[in-house]
Amino acid sequence: MADKLRTQQQLEQLQNKYIGTGHADTTKHEWTSNIQRDSYASYQGHPPLLHYMSIGMGLPTERVRMHCMERMVLPVGVAPAVED
Amino acid sequence: MANTQSSQAFYSLTLEASSAPTAACTCNVIPGLKLQDQQIFEARGQRLYLHRIIENSDRTEVQVSTFLDQDVFGIVRGVSAFRIPGTSTDQLVVSSDSGRIVMLNYDAEKNVFKRIHLETFGKSGIRRTIPGQYLASDPKGRCCMLASVEKNKVVYIVNRNAEGGILISSPHEANQWASLCFAVCALDTGWEHPVFATLEVDYNDAENDPTGETYENREKQLVYYTVDLGLNHVVKSWSDTVDYTANMIFGVPGGADGPSGVLVCCEDRIYYRHDKSGSLCIPIPRRKGAGEDQHRKRCIVAGCLHLARTKHEFFFFLQTDDGDVFKLTMSMAEDDQGRPTADPEALHLKYYDTFPVAKHMLLIRKGYLYIAAENGNNKLYHVTDLADDPTVEPWNNFSSAEYGDLLPAQDYKPLYFKPRGLMYTSLAVDVPSLHPLMRTTVDNPLNEDAPQIYGIQGTGKRSKFKTIRHGLNIQEIVSSPLGNVDCSNLWSIKHRASDQYHSYLLLSSDYADKTIVLGIGDEVETMEESPFLTNRATLEAGLMGDATLVQVHARGVRSILESGTINEWPTPSHRTIVSASANERQLLLGLSSAELAFFFMGDDGVLNQLEEMPEMSGKVTALSVGQTPKGQMQAKFAVVGCDDCTIRVLSIELDSPLEPRSVQALSAVPTSLEVVEQVDPTTGVGVTYVHIGLQSGLYLRAVIDEVTGELGEVRTKFLGAKATRLFPVNASGGAAGEGESSILACSSRPWLGYNHPLSQLYTLAPLVTSPLDAARGFVSEHINGLCAIQGTNLLIFELSSLEGRLATEEIALKYTPRGMCRHPYGTTWWVAQSEGNVLSPRTKATHIANEEAKKLGNGVNGEDAKMEDGDEDGGVKIDEDGEKLTPEELTPDELERHLGLTKATGHWASCISAIDPYEAKAVTATIEFEENEAALCVAAVPFEVRNWEVFVVVGTGQHLQPGNTMVQSKGYVHVFRVTDEGRGLERVHRTEFTSPIYALHPFHGRLALGIGAELFLYDIGMKHLLRKTRGAAVPNQITSLTSQGNRLIASDVSESVTYIVYKGGDANRLIPFADDTVQRWTSSMTMLDYETVAGGDKFGNLWLVRSPEQASKESDEEGIGGYIVNERSYLGGAPYRLELRAHTFTQDIPTSIQRTALVAGGQEVLFWSGLEGTLGIMVPFVSREDVEFFSQLEGLLRSEDPPLAGRDHLMYRGYYVPVKGVVDGDLCERFLRLGFDAKQKIAGEVEREVREVERKVQEMRSRVAF
Repeated sequence: MADKLRTQQQLEQLQNKYIGTGHADTTKHEWTSNIQRDSYASYQGHPPLLHYMSIGMGLPTERVRMHCMERMVLPVGVAPAVED
Repeated sequence: MANTQSSQAFYSLTLEASSAPTAACTCNVIPGLKLQDQQIFEARGQRLYLHRIIENSDRTEVQVSTFLDQDVFGIVRGVSAFRIPGTSTDQLVVSSDSGRIVMLNYDAEKNVFKRIHLETFGKSGIRRTIPGQYLASDPKGRCCMLASVEKNKVVYIVNRNAEGGILISSPHEANQWASLCFAVCALDTGWEHPVFATLEVDYNDAENDPTGETYENREKQLVYYTVDLGLNHVVKSWSDTVDYTANMIFGVPGGADGPSGVLVCCEDRIYYRHDKSGSLCIPIPRRKGAGEDQHRKRCIVAGCLHLARTKHEFFFFLQTDDGDVFKLTMSMAEDDQGRPTADPEALHLKYYDTFPVAKHMLLIRKGYLYIAAENGNNKLYHVTDLADDPTVEPWNNFSSAEYGDLLPAQDYKPLYFKPRGLMYTSLAVDVPSLHPLMRTTVDNPLNEDAPQIYGIQGTGKRSKFKTIRHGLNIQEIVSSPLGNVDCSNLWSIKHRASDQYHSYLLLSSDYADKTIVLGIGDEVETMEESPFLTNRATLEAGLMGDATLVQVHARGVRSILESGTINEWPTPSHRTIVSASANERQLLLGLSSAELAFFFMGDDGVLNQLEEMPEMSGKVTALSVGQTPKGQMQAKFAVVGCDDCTIRVLSIELDSPLEPRSVQALSAVPTSLEVVEQVDPTTGVGVTYVHIGLQSGLYLRAVIDEVTGELGEVRTKFLGAKATRLFPVNASGGAAGEGESSILACSSRPWLGYNHPLSQLYTLAPLVTSPLDAARGFVSEHINGLCAIQGTNLLIFELSSLEGRLATEEIALKYTPRGMCRHPYGTTWWVAQSEGNVLSPRTKATHIANEEAKKLGNGVNGEDAKMEDGDEDGGVKIDEDGEKLTPEELTPDELERHLGLTKATGHWASCISAIDPYEAKAVTATIEFEENEAALCVAAVPFEVRNWEVFVVVGTGQHLQPGNTMVQSKGYVHVFRVTDEGRGLERVHRTEFTSPIYALHPFHGRLALGIGAELFLYDIGMKHLLRKTRGAAVPNQITSLTSQGNRLIASDVSESVTYIVYKGGDANRLIPFADDTVQRWTSSMTMLDYETVAGGDKFGNLWLVRSPEQASKESDEEGIGGYIVNERSYLGGAPYRLELRAHTFTQDIPTSIQRTALVAGGQEVLFWSGLEGTLGIMVPFVSREDVEFFSQLEGLLRSEDPPLAGRDHLMYRGYYVPVKGVVDGDLCERFLRLGFDAKQKIAGEVEREVREVERKVQEMRSRVAF
């Protein structure tokens, strides 16, 4: 039992430290949100990629960066209602 | 390369590093300079730069000169500089993708970055929760904060210990689960505890609320994090809700200088916020002008602060996304006695000037504004006025006083201003940059000596068509015809050795057998009376001793003493002089009898002949005595070249005159020799080099051993088809400074050999001009340059800069270029251009007409009309005042170029242009696209049914909305007839398609085009294109096409490339037979050979894939009966899979890739160019030993010289996919910059001499490129 508890604690610690660490009940919404957030963070983090997008969209990079940041709030829409 | 073996390896080299700035800041890193004399610390791609601004005393000549750059082999994301109290120079902090914070110092003695601290705080790579995206440092230099886009923040406290060392604390974390960070800045709190401000959004509740209500009501918080230096921790000390559109924050000076707090820049508003005072708000003024959308809101994209510490005054420059810069000042409330308090009362904005949209804007205390431009050239502006006078352009003053604390939702009357040309600033330096480089092609339509790089670059009105040549630009000062005399050589001579300027210019013509003497004064004029012999051709002329002029001609030597006495030395009978060389004291002649005659000049200015006249092994073709070393009487060695393809080194010292020292055999007859003493930049010691020009156009450089006279360290370079002639010159970049001794080598084009000021390497670069016959230094009162004979002209020129390696010619375009192609048989180019979110000229005209009509309808009382009136009043006022400041006068077109195109969301402006870069050097025809179409690609297609007549075909998309996948837009293919050899275009017809056309390619006299995931072949018809065949090709969207024979390669937007075979005849089928296993978001690709494709993707990778042999064979079986037709699809794709052959990460996004040779007579390489302005090559290794050697060297350098920012090199080059088959040449070239000990160590490991390793590394580049 103690082992199980420790595993549980370790998992929780991991989930706290690394966002996106899944668990047995990870929903599709959580999973896809996570991927999208990772993607949007990556677009901003790589300057050439952000530049590429800004040229394609005809907007200054700051605007595109804001767009990416904004999409990170709720990248795939609101969560579906949970049935109890 | 056609036989790409399975183990083929490549050497990847960067020819021109990325020019797009990612981060920049001002700093003071050079000890001993004034605080005012700030340097610029800039990061571009994977390199760090330190620039200095160099100006002459009256500021007429300004230069931004780079004094240090270093490749850090990591993605640099932020830079910052701060001064730790009590230290003499600034510390530089770099945040990169290494998961580590790097603190650097500049070591002025060695001119290198010195790493002070390297602290790990997280995983490497660019991740959502690893700090590094944002970097802010406390203005008082006590700590710095790194933040990630989500959750994590880390603060490092820095200190100075008693010994002057810099201490760094352990990281203090300030993490907040589920919070997104939009911006970070440091507050100026004076000497109180440092505070960092951030803009944050908490998404935790919004994510867990299925109704979406919380999301609708989400809030953005301005959060203060206080670093408690006493308790040594970081706490969240204050937070408050701000306007949700906030995107940027700036710290307002605090302590004794101001009220502290932050400026929060939002869409359409700027707020002042602080925890200790009320908030202020001012709207961002909008542009007013013909066709402008009155409701479009601006946001701030860049800004900088100027703080005058002594006067406690400050202001901000803030730039909007249109490029307009506003000056923001704050006024303070006054207390009872009328003294200003620290309580801000109002914000004031004043329209300053308009600049290109900046990534970073830096105000330099010397009075310059540096714009690290997002697109196009970086610019340095000279600030002539700070717009302090409120009476100048009073209509451009805006104040928050009338707004009070404006709530975000509150409706208000927007502010308007009219942008104009530059008024308060003037352009000082235009730093040439190549970003964004949309496409390049290496081509040589006019059969010049070396191929040129043609590129389309830039965005909007600042777009350019560029012709890039390797070489140095010259500034022509005088080019005057010499009449029909064919001159072959010239000399510029001083009258006395102590003179500063040249007095005589001798031009000699072998053909006419005469000499022309020109006098150099205020003008260069023919001297009627001169002591020189004019009825013979001159072989050598110069000043010897203190004031003796010496002229050598075929029949003798004439020396003109200062007193006017003329001494003649006639040649021995039946012998003539064939070559001669002189320095200050020594004169060596080669006679037609293969004998040498040697003279030494005494202090009396008289030439004394050595009686001995040794005979050489063959006819003397060239000889040279070295320059007299400084402080000595005589040079040690002379070099004599003979027609038996040898050169001999002779001692010419008086105690051992004309004693042979060594012999060197050559591959051809030497035509020109020069012995020059040059400083070896790595050691700083003078070394005697002999430069050798051969009949075959080769150029060699060898070192003469000081003691033995042996020749060693030979470097060879092929210069051109003509025999090489060499001229020693003093080349200096710009007017500043004394030139270094260099060599000008004239072959089929002129080359300059010099020590590069930045890389400290001996560099050979061609001069971009017509061939020169001869060249010499030329110093007069006004000119410090070179003079040369160019055909029948006398050319006097200066070299503008020795730093750059590329010379560029530009032709302005209208919109962002998207694609280009060349006339297959002609010399014209066509460029498809389109610009998103701007009004097309036609729509703009309609809008203006509508506005006019409305105004007329409303009568004079209309609101718009009123505003116009007010403006006119203002305009009159300034005339009355007779104000000195006036905006630059610009034509409407120049003004549009300066201010940018009129923006309007959802609109597209697009056109196709024909360009003649050779004769007209201009755009020769432009056809605009209407109905909101955007040109995406262009191809020149010779149609077989029209007897191979070339048509220009343009693919477009209509109502495109990039970033919005929901919208399905239509596409068109326009066909244009070519007139006037390509200079003109004529519409033929257009064909509608269901989706935008991204790829066009001429294929067997027809047009191959990609529509979505399908590949089609079309033929030209009378009214539209006619479909011939179709086939499913790729999974998503074809983005480019290429072909060889019947094999077509289609690249997909996200799924790499697919090989397709076309079965002609009755079958008429397109059969995809091989595709890839890895998703590559292909941005460009080319066929390296029939089996291999090289490409680049949007994440910055370069890769080579090859089709399996069986698949390749099967696909080429005759007809439709073959096996490939019935092959089953494998795992939902094509029957066969491609194999990966090489892979590396370049950071930049490759937008073009091509197999080509870059230098005359060079091997073919894989040339690629990237969006951020990178030009790179991949050189295939020829021998196995080379691969082993360079891999070993690379490995050693990895451990000996680990990347500066702490990123593991191997991990970096294998960012997405492990490196395969590629040796990083940029890392290998770091060897040249290492210290002596490290070089020795590595050379020992590879069991070679240091010199040999250096030569191998340099040759790898010089053999194939520049």
